[in-house]
Amino acid sequence: MTSVESVPSTSTQVPAVGAAPDGPPQRKQLTKAERRELQEKQRAAKAAATAAGAPAKAGNAPKPAPKPSQGQNTKASTPAGASGSTATASNAPATAAKKAAKSGKEVDTQLVDKTADLEAQRRHQTRIFTHFVGKKEGGLGAGIKGEIHPAIIRLGRQFADMKIVGANARCIAALVAFKTIIQDYITPQNLTLARDLTQYISPQISYLVSARPMAVGMGNSIRELKYHISVVSIDMPEQDAKDHLCEQIDTYISHRIVLADSVIEEYAMAKIQNGAVIMTYARSSVVERVLIAAWTRGKRFSVKVVDSRPMLEGKNMLAQFVKVGIPCTYLLINGVGSVIAEVSMVFLGAHAINSNGSVYSRAGTALVAMLAKEHSVPVLVLSETYKYSNNIQLDSFTKNELAPIPDPRTSSRRITTRDRLGNETDVDDETRNPNLQSINPLYDLTPHTHITVLVTEVGLIPPSAISTLAGLRDKDKGMQLSV
Amino acid sequence: MSDIADAGILKQVDLLTSKLRRRQLAGAQESAMETTLLIKYVVTNAKFGTIEELISIIKATGRRLVEAQPKEHTVGNIVRRILRLIREEWAAAASNPPQEDGDEEQNEDGSETPKKSKATLAYSKLLGSHLGAQASIASPITRLRTVPGADSQYSLSNFVLHGRPHRDANMFSSIFSSSGRTDPTAKPSKNAESIRPALISAIEEVLDDLETVFDTVSSAAKDHIHSDEIILTLGMSRTVEAFLKKAAMDRNYTALIAEAAPSFSGHQMARSLAAAGINSILIPDSAVYAVMSRVNKVILGAHAILANGGVFSAAGSILAAHAAQTHRTPVVFCAGQFKLSPLWNVYHAHGSLDFANPAHVLGFEEGRLMDQVDVLNPTYDYVPPELINVFITNDGDIPPASMNRLVKETYDDEDYQM
Repeated sequence: MTSVESVPSTSTQVPAVGAAPDGPPQRKQLTKAERRELQEKQRAAKAAATAAGAPAKAGNAPKPAPKPSQGQNTKASTPAGASGSTATASNAPATAAKKAAKSGKEVDTQLVDKTADLEAQRRHQTRIFTHFVGKKEGGLGAGIKGEIHPAIIRLGRQFADMKIVGANARCIAALVAFKTIIQDYITPQNLTLARDLTQYISPQISYLVSARPMAVGMGNSIRELKYHISVVSIDMPEQDAKDHLCEQIDTYISHRIVLADSVIEEYAMAKIQNGAVIMTYARSSVVERVLIAAWTRGKRFSVKVVDSRPMLEGKNMLAQFVKVGIPCTYLLINGVGSVIAEVSMVFLGAHAINSNGSVYSRAGTALVAMLAKEHSVPVLVLSETYKYSNNIQLDSFTKNELAPIPDPRTSSRRITTRDRLGNETDVDDETRNPNLQSINPLYDLTPHTHITVLVTEVGLIPPSAISTLAGLRDKDKGMQLSV
Repeated sequence: MSDIADAGILKQVDLLTSKLRRRQLAGAQESAMETTLLIKYVVTNAKFGTIEELISIIKATGRRLVEAQPKEHTVGNIVRRILRLIREEWAAAASNPPQEDGDEEQNEDGSETPKKSKATLAYSKLLGSHLGAQASIASPITRLRTVPGADSQYSLSNFVLHGRPHRDANMFSSIFSSSGRTDPTAKPSKNAESIRPALISAIEEVLDDLETVFDTVSSAAKDHIHSDEIILTLGMSRTVEAFLKKAAMDRNYTALIAEAAPSFSGHQMARSLAAAGINSILIPDSAVYAVMSRVNKVILGAHAILANGGVFSAAGSILAAHAAQTHRTPVVFCAGQFKLSPLWNVYHAHGSLDFANPAHVLGFEEGRLMDQVDVLNPTYDYVPPELINVFITNDGDIPPASMNRLVKETYDDEDYQM
């Protein structure tokens, strides 16, 4: 809103209603539409002004004009995907300035109008993807008030760089970091641990969320931790309280994740028969564990590992299988149609299970599950109950995350295309076409109709029955599970 | 089943077969063009006494080409189409020359018939004679559009004949025709070579069709795509590219392009569309289901269209088609009609199997793993007709159920197996 006052010479639309001399009342008199119009005009006028200024500079230094635009580009380009529109916004006036310098003043206003139009178009067209959470502006931990423990800083960095991926891995890493925090924490004078520690932990959590959106399981575990903190008796000595909390964390990890995985292993192994052809997708710690255990126990089967870009996590799981000696086939997700006829069952992992039984998991899971169901191949989703979320999502757009992959427009990484013979042809991607952007959704939602059974530590249940498990509903009671 | 005797022709044929075998020539339209040029060369330079000799030379050529690369279906399609054109031209020529018997120019009842039916009538007589000459060979009966002796093209017996297996048609013809079988003698040899120019111009028409196929397919693009729609496509297809670019001239929309790993042909498509001013968003193949709830139409390209209305298309198409069906989103295939193939297989999904270099999926940088793992890189998917809403072809919009009728109209039965 300050722009209204900072460019007084170009503001043509100040209404003379009431003749109010001071700032704020004048602002209120303009309606929202009028304000927006005014801003557009001023933006266009500013661009025209810089374009007009450019011919004066053109003779001396043509170089500085491209350089700042490039600088703008690289800065604005690190956020991927949805915020690509801001990169185009900074691009457009710069290119308009350069063009105007060459072609002359009378073309200025035309070009400026065109780029303003293009900008408006771009903003409109990419709107549907803007709520996908991408890289946040300002980087890691921007705008978070409070001291962040170094363990959390390191963890945040690891999350942001995708060094730790996978629901279980992230949750366990976060809980272990919280144990460190709790042990290092010292209650300030005149404050109780129960109240203050919760406040101390909040910015740490925000920091992790700024690295990557909160994983559902991680969120559930942190909520439980907060509950345990809040019920710490005021009489308990500080070190005892801290030890007690760390013990609670350990119990959570051991019961809800590690032991749960062993139980799931038993249930799932019983479903594997000798000679089975099992298809897996990407990487799930539970699926990996189950198949390796089954093979070690003497069951003989083969596995088709399906993988996909950009994460290519399936390769890691493939390496583990090969180490144990399981005969594997490896393919990318587009090849699933060619092999599904030979598959006897599909094992999938999950990031979260929603209350209507739909599974929120790595992007591509829905495709594999859907095709398997079409071919009457049973789809088993292996998931611990701590990943249960009370939410219901209607589609993969409601909640999703974009992978921080460099934008093909602005990255210098060369993208190659292969022809039929496999000869790579380098495609010049230095063109920075503002029309082209790429998004890499990390997750998708598999409706419960595509899933045959959900294998949890409380048994094999149809996916839509997950919400009826009593213990999961009473989250405030902590670790109660009705078995 | 004779082979090619002429050394010059054999040399040209061998050139093309080795290109096909080594996949130096790849892509439906390029293969079709090269095949047409080769057949044109054959027709120009072959020495033949009767039209049957020419047909058998071309069939031998087609057999070699198809054996070289059975996965390039357009090669066989073009050969079959040209064979059909040859027979039609021959029939048209046979009904015109002056030494024809008087009563063969008119129908039995003396009424005038339109020129086309004259050609087909003569065609049917020719084939009747053809059949008489080769009565000992148990080959499927060829087309017999009208019953000799019928009043006009639209008589009831013609409707009865339409769509019946052709051996029944011959039975009917012998029952209904009062004059019995037509003269079984072959046409005089000097006529056969005389239609060579007509054949060459017919083949050049085919060539023109192929050259302009991208423009004709996209001619009605703006009627299929509306403003502010979100279109999903997969990988690179020149037909779809032309279609989307044409639509962009009148409509403002967004294109989502799945990258089609490991060939990454989608990157090329995305770049091309973006250069044409279309708002393009590149997504990985795994995201197809995730974005499907916002997609208005799925537009894909076909490698080959099968007689049942199914399609061989780029790997990943079956996933996109099923995902679209789950969301009740229409699936549209853009393809020229030269991709229509008369082949039929009970297990089409096996027929589509063709594998590319596995190193692109798991390369030598994973040396340790490579040894112990089977790596697959399938090129095509089979998409069944139930998942397809419409085909947009250079000859109009066609539902999958009409494909078999189109096959019957484009190709002759005896050419299905070369």
